[in-house]
Amino acid sequence: MRALFSSLRDGKGFDISLIAIAMVFLILFSGAPLVYNAIMSFQEVDIFNLGTFIRPWVGLDNYRSLFADPSTLPIFWNTVVFVFSSIAGQFIVGFGLALFFTLKFPGAAYLRGLFLVSWVMPGLVVGAIWNWILSGDFGILNHFLKSVGFISENIFWRSDINYSLWAVIIANIWLGTAFNMILLSVGLAAIPRDVYEAAELDGATAIQRFRTITLPMMRATIGAVVSLGLIFTLQQFDLFAAITSGGPANSSNVAQYKAWEMSFREYDFARGATISVLMIVVVMIASVIYVRSTKQEVRG
Amino acid sequence: MNEYGQKIWTSRLLLIVALGLAVIYLFPLYWMFVTSLKTGSDVFATPPALWPKVPQWSTYAEVWQSKNMARYMGNSLYIATGTMAITAILGTGCAYVLARYRNMWIDIGLFLVLMLQVLPASLMVTPLFVGFNQIGLLELPRTAVILALSAKTMPFFIILVRATFMAVPHELEEAALVDGNSRLGAFWNIVLPLARNGILVSAILIFMQAFGEFVYSKSMIQTSELQPASVGLNSFMGPNTNEWNKIMAFAMMYVMPILGIFILLQRRIVAGLTSGALK
Repeated sequence: MRALFSSLRDGKGFDISLIAIAMVFLILFSGAPLVYNAIMSFQEVDIFNLGTFIRPWVGLDNYRSLFADPSTLPIFWNTVVFVFSSIAGQFIVGFGLALFFTLKFPGAAYLRGLFLVSWVMPGLVVGAIWNWILSGDFGILNHFLKSVGFISENIFWRSDINYSLWAVIIANIWLGTAFNMILLSVGLAAIPRDVYEAAELDGATAIQRFRTITLPMMRATIGAVVSLGLIFTLQQFDLFAAITSGGPANSSNVAQYKAWEMSFREYDFARGATISVLMIVVVMIASVIYVRSTKQEVRG
Repeated sequence: MNEYGQKIWTSRLLLIVALGLAVIYLFPLYWMFVTSLKTGSDVFATPPALWPKVPQWSTYAEVWQSKNMARYMGNSLYIATGTMAITAILGTGCAYVLARYRNMWIDIGLFLVLMLQVLPASLMVTPLFVGFNQIGLLELPRTAVILALSAKTMPFFIILVRATFMAVPHELEEAALVDGNSRLGAFWNIVLPLARNGILVSAILIFMQAFGEFVYSKSMIQTSELQPASVGLNSFMGPNTNEWNKIMAFAMMYVMPILGIFILLQRRIVAGLTSGALK
């Protein structure tokens, strides 16, 4: 008994107990639900057997009926459009800003940090603001686009099925740009200045320097930023809830919102679990890419 | 013009461009603020005014009263504080061990933590809800949210704090051990105080994240008396709302604490964030 106590205070037991408490907590509230989710996707779950663990086993039926549903494939396609457009937008704008802020002028670091305020905002507040900005009749964006002559008729961003997904994408690009910019700035700052100076002496133009020095030396950072973007974009839920609720007619619905709708709007928990399992596999693959591209740094 | 003068002008020009970019980027936040100060009819004026004729500060008091915001904010605070406490207490020790050793088991542990960091809440909420319902945890919905949310935020916290512990020189801890401290003593008296700032900033990041949490609260907390402000804002908005000045006032009051923390600790937050995500 005393040996155990002294080991906890002063030996291997100290390390093991510190890590074990956190790991048990994570396994209980993260690992176990993950497994439970996969099990439910093979079961028939309804409101009557929700409280029991023993439910009819249906094999792959949930997956079959998911893909037999004609609304499924468009939603997965929306997810792809949402993810790629969001990442592309965030990355391009973020990279542009990061490059701009490498220039030296007073207050550069402070102003750059100020951008990050978009990232700490609650997602639902960001959604509410953009919902109002993108409003059809009275939104400021339509007013601005009309006064500069881009459009002649109001665009009904939230209720037009051709634009509803883009309404959420615009908000998501705004939300994620600052985070991309900050991470890319860190990568840019790590490139030694003298490489550029040497290239400049050799007569390389700005575009050549960007293509042959900046891009190759930023490869690890870009890999990490893009895979983090993928992870964050697949986590995005609040903007959908606040701007379009996936509508109209699923035109702005994506898999992670649909999974929630299935469980908490239709009470079809098995369908919700089935979509979740598929998406979690995608997220896991993305995170393996992320871990690999930051491997050196992670291992310190 | 000499070279020195040219340099000054370039940097001034760049500063103006940077300010312009910041104004454009932060415009949505300004728009939230301005809309909250307009009257119900001014909100729908064409062209929209960039500043209200008479700022309606009274909207804030009115919304605070009629929407019972004290209760919503209290619940947000409760959930954020609980999540931060559990995450920091359990996560700090784990991060310390993961930073101290270098072997296969630590690599496996790190990999697991990184994997758990990426699970989207809207996908995890289905099994969490069903499981919590079965074990009766939904009787205490705010506690259920805190537990679920802590499991979501802890991996991120561990990664950030581990980076802090890596920066604490190992020799200091060894010296303390040689001086007769126990492992616990060395950790508590030497390592922890040195890593204090990093732990604090990471804990604040977790607090801000939990303060804005929506998915778990929306799904698990049915009674409005226990819901946080994010759920309150969501139900206030509704599908065909036209009270945008009031909604924006609600949103303004909701984000005030977060904005305050961000402005006070901006530099530390930016530094902490970048060290964890990339290094």
